[in-house]
Amino acid sequence: MEKVKKKIGSFSFWNWVTASIIFRLILIYFPKNLNLSSRPEVSTPLTSFRRLAEGYWLKQSFMSPYAGSMYHGSPLLLSLLGPLTINRIEGQPNHLLYSLVSVIADVVSAMLIRATGQNLRLAYLRSLESLDLVKQIEVSGDIAALIYLCNPFTIVACVGLSTSPIENMAVILCLYGACSRLIPLAAFGWVIATHLSLYPAILIIPVIFLLGCGPDSPPRKLFLQRHQQKEVLNQSKLPPRFSWGPVIHFAFWAFLWSVYVLVLCGISLKQFGGLWEMFKSTYGFILTVEDLSPNIGVLWYFFAEVFEFFRNFFLIVFHVNILFMILPLAIRLRHRPCYLAFVYVAICSMLKSYPSVGDSALYLGLLGWFVNELADMQFSLFLFCGYVGVSLLSPVMHNLWIWRGTGNANFYFATAMVYACLQIVLVVEGVSAMLNHDRKLRNLITGKPQDAKS
Amino acid sequence: MAETKEKSLSDEKPKPRVRPIVRLGIFLISHSFLVSVVCCTAGVLALFLLPVLAKNTYISENALMPGSASPMLSNQHVSDGNRLVKDLTNPNSKSSETGIESHKIIAQYMLDLGAEVSFHKFHPQMNQFHPLHFFSSPVSGKIQENYSCSSYGINTVGIIRAPRGDGKEAIVLVTPYNALKSGFGEALSLGIAYSVFSLLTQVTWLAKDIIWLVADSQYGEYAAVAAWLREYQSPKFSSLSTPNAEMCPDVNNLFELKGHSISGSKFSNSFRRAGTMAAALVLKVRDQNEQFEDTISIYAEASNGQMPNLDLINVVNYLAVHRQGLRVNVEKLWPLLNSSWLKSLGEIFESLAKVAKSLYPKWKFGIPATEYVEGTATLASSLYYQALGVPTGPHGAFRDYQVDAITLEISPKFSLDKVWRNDILLRGGRLIEGVIRSVNNLLEKFHQSFFLYLLTSPSKFVSVGVYMIAFALLIAPLPMVAASLYVDANSSSNYSKGDSSTPSAITDTDEHGIAIRSWRWLNSAKLVFIVHLWGAIVSLLPYFISQIPDCSPTTSFMIWVLLSILSLLTSNSVLASPLACAKATQEKEWALVKSVTISSVFIGLGLMSVINFATAEIGALLMVPMCLLARPLKLDVRAGTLRSFCRLICNLVLGHIAFPPAAFFLLKGMLDGFGNANVGDFWMWVESLWAWNSATYLFIGMVQLPCWVLCVSILFHTC
Repeated sequence: MEKVKKKIGSFSFWNWVTASIIFRLILIYFPKNLNLSSRPEVSTPLTSFRRLAEGYWLKQSFMSPYAGSMYHGSPLLLSLLGPLTINRIEGQPNHLLYSLVSVIADVVSAMLIRATGQNLRLAYLRSLESLDLVKQIEVSGDIAALIYLCNPFTIVACVGLSTSPIENMAVILCLYGACSRLIPLAAFGWVIATHLSLYPAILIIPVIFLLGCGPDSPPRKLFLQRHQQKEVLNQSKLPPRFSWGPVIHFAFWAFLWSVYVLVLCGISLKQFGGLWEMFKSTYGFILTVEDLSPNIGVLWYFFAEVFEFFRNFFLIVFHVNILFMILPLAIRLRHRPCYLAFVYVAICSMLKSYPSVGDSALYLGLLGWFVNELADMQFSLFLFCGYVGVSLLSPVMHNLWIWRGTGNANFYFATAMVYACLQIVLVVEGVSAMLNHDRKLRNLITGKPQDAKS
Repeated sequence: MAETKEKSLSDEKPKPRVRPIVRLGIFLISHSFLVSVVCCTAGVLALFLLPVLAKNTYISENALMPGSASPMLSNQHVSDGNRLVKDLTNPNSKSSETGIESHKIIAQYMLDLGAEVSFHKFHPQMNQFHPLHFFSSPVSGKIQENYSCSSYGINTVGIIRAPRGDGKEAIVLVTPYNALKSGFGEALSLGIAYSVFSLLTQVTWLAKDIIWLVADSQYGEYAAVAAWLREYQSPKFSSLSTPNAEMCPDVNNLFELKGHSISGSKFSNSFRRAGTMAAALVLKVRDQNEQFEDTISIYAEASNGQMPNLDLINVVNYLAVHRQGLRVNVEKLWPLLNSSWLKSLGEIFESLAKVAKSLYPKWKFGIPATEYVEGTATLASSLYYQALGVPTGPHGAFRDYQVDAITLEISPKFSLDKVWRNDILLRGGRLIEGVIRSVNNLLEKFHQSFFLYLLTSPSKFVSVGVYMIAFALLIAPLPMVAASLYVDANSSSNYSKGDSSTPSAITDTDEHGIAIRSWRWLNSAKLVFIVHLWGAIVSLLPYFISQIPDCSPTTSFMIWVLLSILSLLTSNSVLASPLACAKATQEKEWALVKSVTISSVFIGLGLMSVINFATAEIGALLMVPMCLLARPLKLDVRAGTLRSFCRLICNLVLGHIAFPPAAFFLLKGMLDGFGNANVGDFWMWVESLWAWNSATYLFIGMVQLPCWVLCVSILFHTC
């Protein structure tokens, strides 16, 4: 859907938004034909709406919603979305109400992405101005929002009754709050996103950078060099230094919100084992990879094969994998916190235990923020074709394995591996394109010929 | 890879070290023409080598143990079967206009053996258009229509419970039977099945239940079996409002049987079930035969080119050849048998093998030329029927529920004396008994042997690992040519830019240039996307056209063509034009379009090769040369060299051949002669494809047709 990018000038933004909403509404009216909600690509044990309905039913009949290892989400979602699972409108498709909620969530996310993109663009323009580089740049906010809205992955996740639109909205809320320096909002988004799917917890690092030194800009070193050249050190034109004030403010709000959320959870689970039960069957379930039903990730296959007594070891290895990448990336990309957030989200969606296409939808949307910087990215056609190919091949392989019986688990796992490789290529190429962009800016300032590196 | 090469070209400085894999990629891309010629030739050659590379079949599952026990079917059982045949062919039984009498006779015979008997009444279900059927389970979303009592069929089902089994598994024996106008062959097939059935009620070794389904074939054999299977696998708890076959008055006549039967306790009105099906055999006897020995034909292709497990075919083949002395046939493409070029090709391979053997005695891969021709004819028909995606018999219904099934058609040498009839009953019966006994030994469902294979003779097969090589070679040039075109288009735009001196100016032009360069393919991708969208619309159109009443195939086809052209023009003007004018036509625009087209074709072919290999192979033979050669005619005309002239001719020829209807008529003409070709035939063919939910239909509509349109648009590109 990156196609949309260039056409923004001639096509109005709102036309595309309306078109994508209408398209979703049309799809919602054929739930039986598409049967998306039972696809492993869309609904994982964590995001499945059917499981949520089951949990709600259990809770209504005064049992623990986590009984029977069916539901693994937050108790807050049960209270908020649970009633939607049983409310039906006569003559309309089941779960119409929830579908509408997820459409709204998508639109809200898109609007937040747009606002954040505009913020980022302003910041980028300002920093270019202070470097005396005049450029025309694309309206990245609109493009990112449209990529998010028109991405088939987002549409499928939205129509397929999964909770990922809501999780994505929480993540985007957090980034939006941090970019526009609405600290309570950022803290709220972060706490909710972490509460819903655990992995966004690592977004605290980009958020701290965002609050500490403001949105993405070229490295600070460049500004110093530029001003040394001109031999006038104008402090006002320099990006601000890291300030601890907003960060402490954020920490305070984050603490407040998490206590609030935990108290609410505690109240709702009072009779059913309390918070410990919740931690065990949500975070514990995520971290120990209990459910080995196939999905588009690579962990289910691995843990189905691994010997029982090595299991704990490999669990640690796989999760530490994510943690290992945090620090080097944070150091290298600290001047571009939003880009850092994108990279973190992409890595998480690659290595998380129950990935779905909704996670890809999120990072592909965020990618749109950086059209100007990533204009030089390599392998764009290859990646695009790869994504198209894998997203078509994966259901076919699943069908071959499950329904026709002529294939086996390896067929499906092969597509999962290709998918993981594509994501790796995307992240690697994206990061190197961003670093090249910084290098190019530096060369422009110092006046070197620009073709020195690649 | 792409950008790296371009950078290394534009560098004045000493080149940075390039990783070996990147260097290999660059090498392949820069020699893409040579590589693609070599790969395509090798791919076609490998396809023709497949009969030589075929391996002998072997029984992979040890538990089957075919032929290890001596057959128990005796003359007593044969005379039982003969009695049934006589009763059925007796003119008295045919007097009834609905054919209920014959069903009663069969049911009575089954009851006498002590089997559980029930009737299954069904309405023939018209095939409907389910474009997404392939991706869903076979049972989902069947729509009940209004039925009338005038048309319904009756399947008679007899079940023997296994004395040693737990009732969780079953083997199905199907004999299609049309009570209204049954030939002698159908009666004979019932006789064979009955003699086996009567034996199986007595044996002690039975571990799986036996279901004998006499499928009422007055609305087609497939429909009857499919209706019974649907009821068996997914019971319908329908509301009272839908009219049911049970409500029709004359169906109730059937149950009078209960009144004057002795063992009425075993007869039941309700639908009877046994366990999950391990395998199913469909038995038919052909009425007339012009051959001089008893042969048995095996039909195995189910929907979308799915095949039963090879072990099932192996067991039948082994028992028929080595125990019963029957000749086993699989379908051949007869016109190929007499073709001289194939024969000479076979002779070339044979002599090559001889040379190889004389060089090194351990190289033994040659087969005689006649065998090669036969193998190729069989392989071609195997490919053809798999590619059609239409099941070749009632066994296709079973494959939708993951049950391995084949149709056995016995064609006896025809004579009327009683000895001959007893002989065929005995041998056919023993064959069926042997197969059932083998399957009875099975511990799990068939899983040992291949599911993906092509047959070159009843005892030779090509497995997926071998035939995939031919296909992979054929499509390997696609990504390479796509990459090379992409690189060329990008680097040419890079060279055309002028240099500027001031830093800010550089930024400006550079930034713009980069934005164009890196994402320039988006414009072409949009075009390709629109054409594929149009392909989807074209594939959906027949559904609406078929709703028009009283439309002859020719008119329907014309309407289809008109609507398709109209929608192409509309989509082009609505979606494409405002965007196309935003970016002025750049030089080498066609190269990018071709690059993206080739990528999409590659994805489409790769996808189809997983769904239905045969379709993908045939499609690749048509599309790959066309995609690779496509180049604006204007350029070739302008160049005026011999090479460009050849390319021009090739392009024009391929542009005509690869158009799906043209390819269809060409194929049809080659097989049946061009005399009676009719425009409506294509419509009928397409209709049969979508009625059977063949993925080939979607392939033609959404991969081949868009690819053809894009290639033609490249040919007529104004550059």
